[in-house]
Amino acid sequence: MFKKLKYDHYGYLFVAPFIIGFLIFGLYPVLNTVFLSFTDRTLMSRTFNITWFKNFQLLFADKTFITAVTNTWELWLMNFIPQMGIAFLLSVFFTNLRLKIKGVGVWRMIFYMPNLMMASAIAALFFSLFSYYGPVNQFIVRSGFVAEAIDFIRKPSWMRGLVVFIQWWMWFGQTTILLMAAMTAIPVSLYEAALVDGAGSLQMFLHITLPLIKPVMIYILVTSLVGGMQMFDIPYLLTDGRGSPGNSILTNTINMYMKFHSSKGHIGAASAVGLVVFLMTSIVALLIFFLLREKHDEPVKNGNREK
Amino acid sequence: MKRLFVILSLILVGSMLLSACGAPAAEPETPVEPEAPVVDEPESTEKTVLNVWSFTNEILTMAVAFEKTHPDVDVVYTMIPMTNGEYQTKLMATLGTDEVPDVVALEAAFVKSYVESDFLADIGDLQKYADELKMYPFVYEVGMADGVHKAYAYQATPGALFYRRSLAKEYFGTDDPVEMQEILGDFDKYIAAAEVVKEKSGGDTYMVSSNGDFQNLFFANREQPWVVDGKLTVDPMVNEMIETVKIFRDNGYEARATQWQEGWFAGMNDTLADAAGNPKKVFSYFLPTWGLPYVLEPNSTSADGSSTTKGDWAVIEGPLPYQWGGTWLGVMEETKKMDLAKEFIRFCTLDEENLTNWATGVYTNEYLKAIDPNVPDDQYQAAGDFVGSQVVVEKITASFDDSAMSEFLGGQNSYGGFAAAAPSVNARLMQGSDDAIQRALNDPLNSYLEGTITLDEMWDLWKDAVRNEFPDLIIE
Repeated sequence: MFKKLKYDHYGYLFVAPFIIGFLIFGLYPVLNTVFLSFTDRTLMSRTFNITWFKNFQLLFADKTFITAVTNTWELWLMNFIPQMGIAFLLSVFFTNLRLKIKGVGVWRMIFYMPNLMMASAIAALFFSLFSYYGPVNQFIVRSGFVAEAIDFIRKPSWMRGLVVFIQWWMWFGQTTILLMAAMTAIPVSLYEAALVDGAGSLQMFLHITLPLIKPVMIYILVTSLVGGMQMFDIPYLLTDGRGSPGNSILTNTINMYMKFHSSKGHIGAASAVGLVVFLMTSIVALLIFFLLREKHDEPVKNGNREK
Repeated sequence: MKRLFVILSLILVGSMLLSACGAPAAEPETPVEPEAPVVDEPESTEKTVLNVWSFTNEILTMAVAFEKTHPDVDVVYTMIPMTNGEYQTKLMATLGTDEVPDVVALEAAFVKSYVESDFLADIGDLQKYADELKMYPFVYEVGMADGVHKAYAYQATPGALFYRRSLAKEYFGTDDPVEMQEILGDFDKYIAAAEVVKEKSGGDTYMVSSNGDFQNLFFANREQPWVVDGKLTVDPMVNEMIETVKIFRDNGYEARATQWQEGWFAGMNDTLADAAGNPKKVFSYFLPTWGLPYVLEPNSTSADGSSTTKGDWAVIEGPLPYQWGGTWLGVMEETKKMDLAKEFIRFCTLDEENLTNWATGVYTNEYLKAIDPNVPDDQYQAAGDFVGSQVVVEKITASFDDSAMSEFLGGQNSYGGFAAAAPSVNARLMQGSDDAIQRALNDPLNSYLEGTITLDEMWDLWKDAVRNEFPDLIIE
C-alpha cells in the first residue's frame, strides 16, 4: 500500500521553514525598503506620497551622505588591510611546520576573545578610557608625556584611529582562525614535495598556500566588506551617535539610523540610504567574485601533457 | 591540551555570564534612570484595562493612586527606558498599529513632534480643568498644535541657577540669594562674575561645568522658532549663545566636562580633578526644577561618601528665564477607551488633590502598597516636584520651608523661587524638530570651540547635518 510512496517531495518540506522565513523576514523587508525609498513616508504621519527619485536626488546632493560613504570605505579599508596582514602573518607562523609553536589553541582563543565581548561594552570602555577626565589623560599627564590633557573625544583623527583600532582588534582573531583553518586543510604532502624540490618558504607560500586558500580569502573579503559597509555599533556608541566629532566616524548605517530617528522618522529617506548601500555592496561583492574567480578554462600547456 | 581548552572555555563562558549580570555602563541622558522595563500585569479580568507607556517609573505612582479612586480600572503600566532612545524608537514603530497603548508619556524633547503628528487625540474638553487650576500657560501650550489640545503635563519645569554658597562667600563676600541674583542677574554680569571666580580661585574654580549648560537658556529666549515657513532660521539669541560659550571656553571659565557624564557629575560633589590630579571646583549649575531632586541632590555626595556638598547650595533665577524638560501625557487616537484615557490624564495632570499629594510627599511606598501590594519597594514620590498648577503651588509653597530640600539648599525654600520664575516661561516657540536641530549643533559647536573649524565652517556643518535629517526643510 505504501510502496508507491514518493520521497522526492519530502525535500521541499524540509526546506520550507527556511524558505518561508526568508520570504517573510528576508525578501519582503528588502522589497518593502525598495518601495519605501520611492516615497516621502514618515512615521509621524498617516499619509505619504510617491516621490520616485526625489530621495535619491536629495541624497546625492547631500554632503553628509557623501561623507558617510567615504568614511565607511576609509574606515573599512584602514582596518581590513592591517587585519588581513596580521592575520596572514599569524596564521603562517602558527601553521608553519618548522616553527612548531606551542599552545596554538590558547593563542587562537586569546586573539578571538575581543570578538566575544559586546560591542556596547567595548565602546563604553574606550569612551571612558579616552574621555577628557579619563585614565588615559591622567596617565599621560601625570607621567609627563604631555603638559595638558587632550580632548580625544573631540579630535577627529583620534576617534577615527580608535574606531579602526577597535574594529581591527575585534576582528583579526576571527580572520586568523579562518585563514588557519584554510591553511591546515592544505595537504602536507604538497609542502613536502615542494621541500624535496628545493622550494623556499616564500615560494611555498606564494605557489601553494595562496592559490589554495583563495576561496577562503574571497569569503573573508566579502563577509568583511558586507560587515564593514554596515559598520554601526562601535562608531555609534563611541561618541554621540551622530558620527562626532565633525562627522569623522559617521558611517552609512549611522546616517540611515539618524534619518529614521529624526523627530519625524523619515523612513522613506532612510530606505533610500539603505538601498544605495545595498546596491554599492552588491556591486563590489560581485566584482570581487568576478576578479578572483577560479579560472578553470586555462589551456593546459603541451609540455605538461607530454610528460 | 584539550582539558586546558575545556577549562579555559568554561572560564570564558563563566566570565561572559558574569559580565552579562553586571550593570551595563549607561550614559544617562535623562534624570531618572530606570533599570528595566517594568510591566504591571493585570490581576483581575473584570476590571477595565488601561495601557499606559512611559519612560520613567514616575507615573506608575500616579497610576496606582488612580486605581484607588477608580477601583474598577486596572492600569497596565509599561516602562521603557529612553537612555539611548529606546522609548522613542519603540513608540514610533508602533504608531498606527493596534499595539499602541491608550495613554503615552512624552518627554519635552519629543512631545512636540507627537503633538504635531496625526496620532494624538484631541483632548480639548479637559481645558476647563486647566483653567480652573490656573495651569502655567506653557504647560498646556506645549501640548497644542493648530489650536487643538493634545497633551497636558503635571509638572512645570522652569529653570534656575544653582550655586555653591561657600564659594560665593569666598569670591563675592555673600551667599545671599537676593544679592547673588543682583551679581549674576544678566549675562554680562555672569561673564564678569566668571572672571572674578577665575581670578580669586587662581583658576581652580570654574564658573560652569560644560558648555551644554548654556544652551537651554539661550534657546528658550529666542524670538523666532527654528523653522519659519518651512525655512531654517537662526535667531540672534543663538549667535549670542555661541559667542558666550566661546568666551567661556577661551577664558577657561568652563570645566570642559560634558553634560550627563562623569566630569559633569563630579563637579556636583567636589571630586572633579584635572588630568594632573589637581582638585577643581564648579561654581554653578543651570538646572530646572527637577534638576534639584533628580540630579543635583543624588549626586551631591561622592560615590565613596568622602565628599559632600549637601547644604552648600542656593538657587536663584539666574541671568535668563528658561524652561527645560518635563513630561506630558497624551491619548493615542487609536484607543478604544477614550473616556477612561482622558479621565486618567485629568487625574494625573489636572486634579487638585492628586497634584497636591504628588508634590507634598503623600505618595509614600506604604500608601501605594496599601492600594496595590505588588508595587515595588522603591516606588514612591518624594516631596518637592514642582507642579503645573498655580492654585496648588500657592497652596503648598509654605509647606516646604523646613523640608529636606530646604536643608539641602541651606535653608532656602526653592519652591517659592520656582513659583516666581514659572510665569515668565514661554514655550510658544517649541517645535517638533527642535531637538534634532539643536542636537545637530552640538558637534559643530564643539569643533568650533576646539578651534579646529571656523565659525562659517561650523554653520555649514550644522546646515548639512540638519539637511540630512530634514530632507524637506529649506536651508539657505
